[in-house]
Amino acid sequence: MHNTGSDMIAELETKGVSRRDFVKVCTIAAGAVGLPAWAGEKMAETVETAKRKPSVIWLHFQECTGCTESLLRTSHPDLGALILDLISVDYHETLAAAAGYQIEKSLEDATRENKGKYVLVVEGAIPVKENGIYCRVAGKTAVETVKRYAADAAAVIAIGSCASWGGVPSASPNPTGASGVSAVLGRTVLTLPGCPANPYNLLGTVLQYATFGTLPKLDEKGRPEFAYKRVIHDDCPRRAHFDNGRFAKQFGDEGHRQGWCLYQLGCKGPQTHANCSLLDYCETPGAWPIGIGHPCVGCTEQGIGFNVPIGVNLPIERPTAPMAYPGIHPEHGVVSASPVAVGVGGAVIGALVGAAVVASKKLSAEDSRKE
Amino acid sequence: MSGHHHPRAIGGKLLDRPMQILLAIFGVAAATMAYRFARGLGPVSNMTDGFTWGIWEPVNVVVFTGIGAGAYGVGLLAYLLNRGRYHPLVRPAVLVGAIAYTLGASSILVALGRYWNSYWLPWLPYWNLGSALLEVAICVLSYVLVLWIEVMPSVLEGAAASQASGWASFGRRYGPLLDKAMPYVIALAILLPTMHQSSLGGLMLIAGPKIHPLWHTALLPALFLVSCLSMGYGAVVVLVNLLRVTWKAKQDQALFAEMSKVNAGLLLLYVVLRVGDVALHGKLRYLGANFATLLFLFELALFLVPAVLFLTRRGQQDRGLHFGAAALAIAGGAFYRVDTYLTMYRPAGWTDGRANPGGWDYFPSLGETVVTVGMAALGIAVFILVSRLFPVVVVDDQQTSNLGGADVRAATSH
Amino acid sequence: MRLSRRDLLKGAAVAGAATALAAEAEAREPVPGRPDALGMLFDSTLCVGCRACQTACKAANDLPADAVAAGGGVYDAPSDLNATTKNVIKSFGDGGARHQYMKQQCMHCVDPSCVSVCMMGALHKEGEGKRLLDFEQKNGSGVVLYDKGLCVGCRYCQIGCAFNVPKFEWNDALPRIVKCELCRHRGDPRKTGPLAVANPACCEVCPRGAIVFGRREELLAKARARLAGDPGRYNPRIFGETDGGGTQVLYLTAAGVSFQDLGLPSLPEESSAHFSETVSHAPYLHGVTPVALYAAMAFVISRNKKKEGEGQ
Repeated sequence: MHNTGSDMIAELETKGVSRRDFVKVCTIAAGAVGLPAWAGEKMAETVETAKRKPSVIWLHFQECTGCTESLLRTSHPDLGALILDLISVDYHETLAAAAGYQIEKSLEDATRENKGKYVLVVEGAIPVKENGIYCRVAGKTAVETVKRYAADAAAVIAIGSCASWGGVPSASPNPTGASGVSAVLGRTVLTLPGCPANPYNLLGTVLQYATFGTLPKLDEKGRPEFAYKRVIHDDCPRRAHFDNGRFAKQFGDEGHRQGWCLYQLGCKGPQTHANCSLLDYCETPGAWPIGIGHPCVGCTEQGIGFNVPIGVNLPIERPTAPMAYPGIHPEHGVVSASPVAVGVGGAVIGALVGAAVVASKKLSAEDSRKE
Repeated sequence: MSGHHHPRAIGGKLLDRPMQILLAIFGVAAATMAYRFARGLGPVSNMTDGFTWGIWEPVNVVVFTGIGAGAYGVGLLAYLLNRGRYHPLVRPAVLVGAIAYTLGASSILVALGRYWNSYWLPWLPYWNLGSALLEVAICVLSYVLVLWIEVMPSVLEGAAASQASGWASFGRRYGPLLDKAMPYVIALAILLPTMHQSSLGGLMLIAGPKIHPLWHTALLPALFLVSCLSMGYGAVVVLVNLLRVTWKAKQDQALFAEMSKVNAGLLLLYVVLRVGDVALHGKLRYLGANFATLLFLFELALFLVPAVLFLTRRGQQDRGLHFGAAALAIAGGAFYRVDTYLTMYRPAGWTDGRANPGGWDYFPSLGETVVTVGMAALGIAVFILVSRLFPVVVVDDQQTSNLGGADVRAATSH
Repeated sequence: MRLSRRDLLKGAAVAGAATALAAEAEAREPVPGRPDALGMLFDSTLCVGCRACQTACKAANDLPADAVAAGGGVYDAPSDLNATTKNVIKSFGDGGARHQYMKQQCMHCVDPSCVSVCMMGALHKEGEGKRLLDFEQKNGSGVVLYDKGLCVGCRYCQIGCAFNVPKFEWNDALPRIVKCELCRHRGDPRKTGPLAVANPACCEVCPRGAIVFGRREELLAKARARLAGDPGRYNPRIFGETDGGGTQVLYLTAAGVSFQDLGLPSLPEESSAHFSETVSHAPYLHGVTPVALYAAMAFVISRNKKKEGEGQ
């Protein structure tokens, strides 16, 4: 089993990554998942001492393989290699040296051997129209394949927007009925949307699973909250320009060159849940749409990415201005009645009333004396 | 008319202890005002964009001029209805009116943000006649002038009786001239308050949505006119009684007994108008167990109680009770005015008799209170000063005379 | 005797002038909408609360920051319209389905209370005041302008304005009234016709077109079209069409949200100015009452005085 995996990643053997580097990466990943630094060390330790690495079955359907490519193109230290080193990838069509019946056999073997224990990673959308005839691998439709291997998996991870909710293949008019894994299986699986998904989000998720045997906290769409709870807009490096009303109005104008907010150009940041602004893509600073002066296209977000035209902007989902907005009837520094003012006012009124009463009595008394 | 006692200057030490106290109080107010002119209105007042007039407008202007309306009321009786017996009341009432109105007008000046622009106010082409405040401003300013002209006969008489020959000839020369012109001045002195006292109510018409419906009505001008008269008559009674106590001024209780019927009528007219407005305009639904109803009933009581007292024999004869009723009549008018302008005013308005959330709050600051009290102190000081120097007050020479009491019996028995 | 006659003549002259003026004031018809009236349309369903308008307004009107320290930083974060803020975004609701943003600035009423109450027309409709400011034209734009040279700072406008728009510089020894003047000072030379008159900065910067500038009639048509195009989305009323006699700044809001929720007052169709002036002027009978009253009183008083003199 281990051998099979090692064979498959023969060309990708790790090339002398130090333990120190490894711990560092694990710590970053732990931080990304929202765990303390000691968890990173524990992750590294667990992975090093593990006798058995978790088996991973990686399925490709309707997609561009961008998620795999970006996973392999992380910079120093070689994150892709690390991931492949700490897990045992038993089936991966892009990476496998083997082909044909040979690789199909390894799939059968691995899933039988690790029944109920392997992690199923799905990359790509699943066409469901016409009984799924638009995507067949080894004579089986994508729908059949995903249902079969998901049934015996310990966990299902949908990587990329295609596997999460359909992605590019599902763009209108969606001729093949491209759907996400959750939709096909009829249950919510862990999804890591993005086009492509940031490899660190996969790393964090996998490391947590490998170390603690648990999955990160998910939202109602199966997205790990550590990466997808906030919208791009919340942590956008151009946020100050939004708050100050400085908007680029067209590509190449003065505001665009000054790095102003891209909202008016159609930025989907205010409704797009992802951590692009916080976690550099493949550790390359600025390598994301807003970083290079393009509005966010909302690639992670179902119904927005590849659906709403790039130039159209959207309402702000969670406005978090520098401070709260005033209410309709704000308090206006309510006048606290100073005790002295109250005292003087009371004394004046009291004096008037008292004087009137005294005068009245005196006058009456005077009259009765005279009578 | 044989019973005519002539007014005479009281004389006496000018800077006595009460005077010193009054001037000291005004001194504090003057310092506060100086600070206000140097630093703006914000630092001395609790006024905000919500309660923008604070107490200076409702108290210093609206209530002070209400008290000063005694001149208007007595003038009506003495000159227009030709009740000559009221003449002894005219001069003190006119002096109080002149002082109260002058204080009101100068209080406006203190409260105005851009007071230096007010020199444009007499410039007719800039008048916006839609503005009730313009009418008030023009009328009050003219009336202040008219009132001081009305005070002039006292001054000229005083001059004529003076030892200094130049001053005396001045008095003898211009006194009779002024006397001839007086009817036209007096007519103006009755017309102007009729106009601006109703306009003081009219001022708040436009703030409709911001004033509690129990207070906001198209009858505001009428109610303000009636209440200024009831306040004015009350003020005359209070004033004359106080003068009697302090300077043994002549007080004709029979006259007051007669006047109290007029005032009772006015007070009742107010109550009828007020209750009628609430009943006929479908505002009864705002009545209930709430603060507005309580205040409304309290105000009505302040009008009803003195009205009843004024109509009873004891209320007419017993000086103390009569004085108390008059004080209540002043308080009633004052409450009505302050409530309309301030207490029941909400910047964010009312919905079904409940105040909308507005976020504004108000309680007068120490500075505001000091200025209001200081202005009142100055008014009293000026009254004392003028009365000591000039013939304003009619002094009762037969100090033990009980003529008034007999007259009352005569007046009420038939 | 000569003197009193002269006085009588003088009095008559004064009374005559008063009559003429009062008669002018008495002719108080409801103010019709000016055909070229300018205004804005705010659609709260489009506003995302970015506050670009608030920032642009301050820049365009050269207003200082209303600095508020919060969360370790200092922000220009006015809580309401105030002496340094002519335009403010407020929020209604808790972020749920009915959440809306509210843009508040001068409504430029068709028949404004502030104009009605202003003693010398410091606040006035463009070209309809007592004197013209140097840039002012008789163009029927209906913009409510402020002439600080005729303002005495009485603050009656603050009492009269049902929207609580005019603000006062409380902490200034030489204070002014501060309110939106529709960026009348920012005429747009690229445009022609009435629209060239003003160019509100808030409308210029709004990234979603939530606030748009235009002629009132066109804005009304636009608002009606939006209501007709998506009736389920909107509260079916256009605030300002008739409220308080009509306003030149109009509001649309979402279905299920009332304009009162957004802090706009509930106003009758009759403007407060019309109500107040009609009631106030009615007893004057075109100025006849004061003159007649004065003449009658002068007559009665002088007769009484004469009688009294004879009696003595």
